[in-house]
Amino acid sequence: MHIAPDISALRQDDQPQRAAQAAMAQAVREWRSRPDVAQLHEELAAFSSCRTFAECPLLATLFEDANPAAQIFVEEYVSAMAAAIGRHPLGQIAMRHFADGKVSNIQLARTARTTLMLVALDGVALARAPTPTSANFSPAESWDHILAGKAFATLIEARPPAAPQVEFHRRDVLLLPGKVIAREGSRQTMQIGRIEGRLVTLRLVRRHEKPGPAREYELASGRLIHQAAGNAAESRLEFMVSLLGRMGRADAAPELADIALEDWGEGLRWEALRQCLSLDTATGFAVLSRLAERSGDSLAIPAQTLRRGLVDLHPQLEEIG
Amino acid sequence: MNLPKIDLAALPDLDTLTGAFGSLMHAPSALTSDDSLLILMTYLYDLFDPSNQP
Repeated sequence: MHIAPDISALRQDDQPQRAAQAAMAQAVREWRSRPDVAQLHEELAAFSSCRTFAECPLLATLFEDANPAAQIFVEEYVSAMAAAIGRHPLGQIAMRHFADGKVSNIQLARTARTTLMLVALDGVALARAPTPTSANFSPAESWDHILAGKAFATLIEARPPAAPQVEFHRRDVLLLPGKVIAREGSRQTMQIGRIEGRLVTLRLVRRHEKPGPAREYELASGRLIHQAAGNAAESRLEFMVSLLGRMGRADAAPELADIALEDWGEGLRWEALRQCLSLDTATGFAVLSRLAERSGDSLAIPAQTLRRGLVDLHPQLEEIG
Repeated sequence: MNLPKIDLAALPDLDTLTGAFGSLMHAPSALTSDDSLLILMTYLYDLFDPSNQP
């Protein structure tokens, strides 16, 4: 195996690599402290708090059809980072990034629920990848400003959104530099069919304030094949709920009751209800009865069914309420 | 009142299950955002029950 001498030397002394990383981090700091980047960061924070493009002038220019501002902004960023890499070839850009040979992306900025990133899609790798059989819909709005490359894509809309069975409405779009594609991810997704060369886009993603589940549908049938929590905090809470149940922590029953009645996703609320019922019958059954009586709550029907079943088995429960 | 103990396994799940965040089976083929993340969870266990202290 051949190991480059400068890499091999790092085994004895990693100081040069530490210095390179420090220099790379400094390059990122310098870029972030530029007045336009600082302003952009402020606008991204405002955009996270439900502001519109009209209230974020710099951001608006970056995502306006045919506006060269996006191209210039990205070129300046890439030049700054390429210069740093040129000085420190073994350095890594100290920004969150991802690459799998097909998709590469780097996160330029992130505030609360808004992310700005640079995305590159490789046409050759995409052509080799299997044709997708499913489409994902996630609780976020997104805007793509095409910077380079040419691609044939299809915008797919699921109707009605979020249903267990949907119909797809498809529209072909040609992606060329200067074009901006906006999507409401909970019902619209874009599939790239073919790319000439490499497609590079500046992408803005704003997650919903109260993200519902992300859903995956089979393209051939429109059938829902999987749904996942759209919110990491919710999944974390669900793990905690299950753990408290496994630990037999009956003293947690009031907390679980609150979760079941609060404004969370139905998966988490139902799990909290189940654990609450098994830890503390009286508290759990009272919550079940309240849910069963709530009109407009998506858990009302399953709660009514479960309540009837439990009362049939244990008639004394009827006395709790 | 003598209440029954309800067995968790006897309680049904919803018709449509919701997986954990990030559990979509296939990474979207293109123009994906990266939601891979790591969350450290901290648990505090009660080692001593104050009511049992001498």
